[in-house]
Amino acid sequence: MYFENFAALINMDGHGVYVWASVAVTLATMLWLVIAPLYKQRALLNEVSRDMQRQQDRELAAKTNPSAPSSSENTEESN
Amino acid sequence: MSWLSKLFSKLFAKWLPNESSSWQWFYRLGSPKWFYRRSGQWLPWLSLAALLVLATGLVWGLAFAPEDAKQGNSFRIIYIHVPAAFLAQSGYFIMAIAGAIGLIWKMKISYMVMKAAAPIGAVLTFVALFTGAVWGKPTWGAYWVWDARITSMLILLFLYAGVMALQYAYHSIDAASKASAILALVGTVNIPIINKSVDWWYTLHQPATIKLTSAPSMHMDMFMPLLVMIVGFYLFYGVALILHTRNEILRRERKTSWVRELVNAKAGL
Repeated sequence: MYFENFAALINMDGHGVYVWASVAVTLATMLWLVIAPLYKQRALLNEVSRDMQRQQDRELAAKTNPSAPSSSENTEESN
Repeated sequence: MSWLSKLFSKLFAKWLPNESSSWQWFYRLGSPKWFYRRSGQWLPWLSLAALLVLATGLVWGLAFAPEDAKQGNSFRIIYIHVPAAFLAQSGYFIMAIAGAIGLIWKMKISYMVMKAAAPIGAVLTFVALFTGAVWGKPTWGAYWVWDARITSMLILLFLYAGVMALQYAYHSIDAASKASAILALVGTVNIPIINKSVDWWYTLHQPATIKLTSAPSMHMDMFMPLLVMIVGFYLFYGVALILHTRNEILRRERKTSWVRELVNAKAGL
């Protein structure tokens, strides 16, 4: 290591605060750039799954009671 | 844009996919389903590589590289500032080229890549500006100066923001994509200005450390970790771009049967 000890690495002759602040902000934003899309992906897949479920329910309701209007309100109450 | 595609097909008639099957990969890459499936296989390896290379470069640059004779240890900010600025500009080219491919070949996936590249590039431009400001304080005595390099990077941030905003300014996805692509292409004018700004207006910002045409202006012990960090940032950019593009694919293809099959397969596990 270039520095004599860990404390010197943190302090960097008084420049540590600038260097470590830059590193912290950079790493935080980079982490956000990969974690945010992973959460978004889960939300998107859940949304598709809900859409499919709703459609299935509608089809089932239409089959069991063909005379009933197949409006979305009707099927959602049956859940 | 038809004149543009005509011009292109005339210029590149030899390489355009008429009868030859060698261009099949290009078309397959254009299929959102194919891209989604394959990129899922690439992601773990690409992420692991990015993590390892970035960790190596960061530890090397922050703890092992010698300090700068004039700037002292504050120069270590270079190990994140320069790679971020590098990728902010490379990312702009990637976005503009993706937009051009979308305009010329009307390839759906390239518009999705273009849209995905905008926020990533904006964040990296912000990182370059932020780390530059923090570096400026101990080195120049000021967080911000209206230096040519800094101003042109700020314009780059606004260009990214403009491309992002245009995506939401239209009701039709197609119109939004076209408008964004044209803005992205026009904005590439700014990239050579950023590159040359340190030579044309020699003010506060130091000249480029790395040039393709000459040896680096720094000692090898300082330069090697910087090179590692740049490679690491490229790998990271690849991961981020793939992740954002995959989400854009899901958003636009959510009604298709392959996405539904994908969700069913996930639910079955």
